[in-house]
Amino acid sequence: MKTQDKVKINKLPTGVPGLDEIVGGGLPEFSFNIIAGAPGSGKTTLAHQFVFANASEERPALYFTVLGESAIKMLRYQQQYTFFDPAKLPRSIRFINLSQVVLEKDLGAVLEQVTKEVEKSNPAVVVVDSFRTMVRKPESDMDLQSFIQRLALFLASWQATTFLIGEYAEEELRDNPIFTVADGLFWLRQTAERNSIVRKLQVIKLRGQDSVPGLHTFRITDAGVQAFSRTFGLTARKRNPPSNRRLSFGIAELDKMLDGGVREGDSVLIAGSSGTGKSVLATQFIAEGIRHGEPGIVAVFEERPEAYAERATSLGLDLETPQKDGKLTILYLRPLDLSVDETMQSILDAVEKIGAKRLVIDSLAGFEMALSPGFRADFRESLYRMIFALTGIGVTILSTVEVDESFTEFPFSTYSISFLTDDIIRLRYVSIDGQLRKIMVVIKMRGGNHAKDIREYEITSKGVVILGKRLANYQGLISGIPVRVDRPNSAEEPSQDTGIEHKT
Amino acid sequence: MRDLAYRLLVYEVGAGNASEPSEPPAIRVYEKLRLSLGEFVGVAGFQSLASRALTLARPEVPSLSAAQVAADGSLEGLGDIKAQFDMGKDSATNGEIILIARLLGLLRLFLGEALTLSLLRSTWPGEVFEDRNSLHGRKV
Repeated sequence: MKTQDKVKINKLPTGVPGLDEIVGGGLPEFSFNIIAGAPGSGKTTLAHQFVFANASEERPALYFTVLGESAIKMLRYQQQYTFFDPAKLPRSIRFINLSQVVLEKDLGAVLEQVTKEVEKSNPAVVVVDSFRTMVRKPESDMDLQSFIQRLALFLASWQATTFLIGEYAEEELRDNPIFTVADGLFWLRQTAERNSIVRKLQVIKLRGQDSVPGLHTFRITDAGVQAFSRTFGLTARKRNPPSNRRLSFGIAELDKMLDGGVREGDSVLIAGSSGTGKSVLATQFIAEGIRHGEPGIVAVFEERPEAYAERATSLGLDLETPQKDGKLTILYLRPLDLSVDETMQSILDAVEKIGAKRLVIDSLAGFEMALSPGFRADFRESLYRMIFALTGIGVTILSTVEVDESFTEFPFSTYSISFLTDDIIRLRYVSIDGQLRKIMVVIKMRGGNHAKDIREYEITSKGVVILGKRLANYQGLISGIPVRVDRPNSAEEPSQDTGIEHKT
Repeated sequence: MRDLAYRLLVYEVGAGNASEPSEPPAIRVYEKLRLSLGEFVGVAGFQSLASRALTLARPEVPSLSAAQVAADGSLEGLGDIKAQFDMGKDSATNGEIILIARLLGLLRLFLGEALTLSLLRSTWPGEVFEDRNSLHGRKV
């Protein structure tokens, strides 16, 4: 069938930030949906957000309450959310209590009552809360399956988009006829993991639309439910072709080691133990970008933005002015109970807002610690998704990671995340001539050439300064306890050698 | 809420003069509330609210002591008080105001003023809720 011959399904805004992306752009108009989940999982709040986003006086929403939470208490609590607009009641949103007919009569009478109200109001949206209590009577004259079938047919024919809310258990998915009839099935889960509550949303089924599969984190705040798509809303964005442009660190010698700088759109990892200057390098990287008119984001977890900017000032780098000019955002993502996806969403929002070209995550260890324990298991996967999404649109990401210094091995990262980085720069302490000195080496540059030199550096009032030539007179530098060796002068001072290994 | 109750009663007094209904204005206000809120909170929900309002009003209006709220939410056993309400067909009596005010007060307590007014606006015309002091020249 040609595209122009297909029926166009209108997509309605869900009113839930992040959910439109998850359901493929909005909820299909006239669809018959179930919101299932345990008590307190946010079902009613989600339905209210949809209702407030779509109801109008011309096409109102009918909200049928049955047994359970009374409408008065429901509204008492729901009006605390910022999306709640009391002016919409009762002309645009009508609450109708069906308790009596449910308690005293059978499903046929319930259907009759729903039919009467729908025909009277011509609603765009119908919600039944809770549907579970509506069909609780097994001795009903009308067969449950027939009731559901007729209700779904009637509401679709009357051009209503419907939500049935119910406290269902996942075991019921197989046998309950409601799940067969439904066009959309939204499952909300909340689990306690150690001391934290982890909320996840899954679109188990959504007819006619390409929804994002998997479990999506969501949070309930004073703005209601906010969902965080696993794809961070970047699925529709076209990936930029790989760039050959090089981004400078503002450290000439380091740029040379990187064969001209970091390739635009790369993910760079700076690994080293405490005090080796990871944050200094990261700050120089972001400041250099700003000097070249490339807005930047710094996500910090271990210190406040003021302290971060102050430290930059001590290195002669001004991070205050670009912040005021909207060229730089220092995000302080507070520890405790953050979900990995909402943290990443904050970063993405900031990137989008200022059109950032460079992003610093300082540090991955701090990032992980800021997450609630239940989300730490997903850290690497989520980080991968974010890096993939951001680098795809041309943002260059520099992450720092602290590694335990060992004198028997040379780890790049304790996170096993080198697979998601294009370039790795390793910093470490070495013991030379009775001093604890610092060395750096470029471990890898994906798709590019880089120096294989091990270079000594210092952290001065001007930031990281790479000293002299490569340390040619030592063996075992990466062990941290090198041994001095005598070499001919030519090898000791490779004056013309940039140390670049040219790949063929 | 006494002010609002007064204005609803005054409105019904006016409406009563026009159509000569048989019920006193307080009963008409109460019945309108019962029907509109009953749809929203259910019969049992309204019955609970009305019972509470009656209990709160009794200390101030002793003649309400015999009154009761039936299962369907309607007022029963009004007897003498209904006669008093009838006497006030052309004006609102204090007893009437208090009963309705207590019911509206409960709504405001649970739902807040904005939502309560939104719900009432679907039953009474907008002018009842506008310019509070101009309706009767005093704040009740």
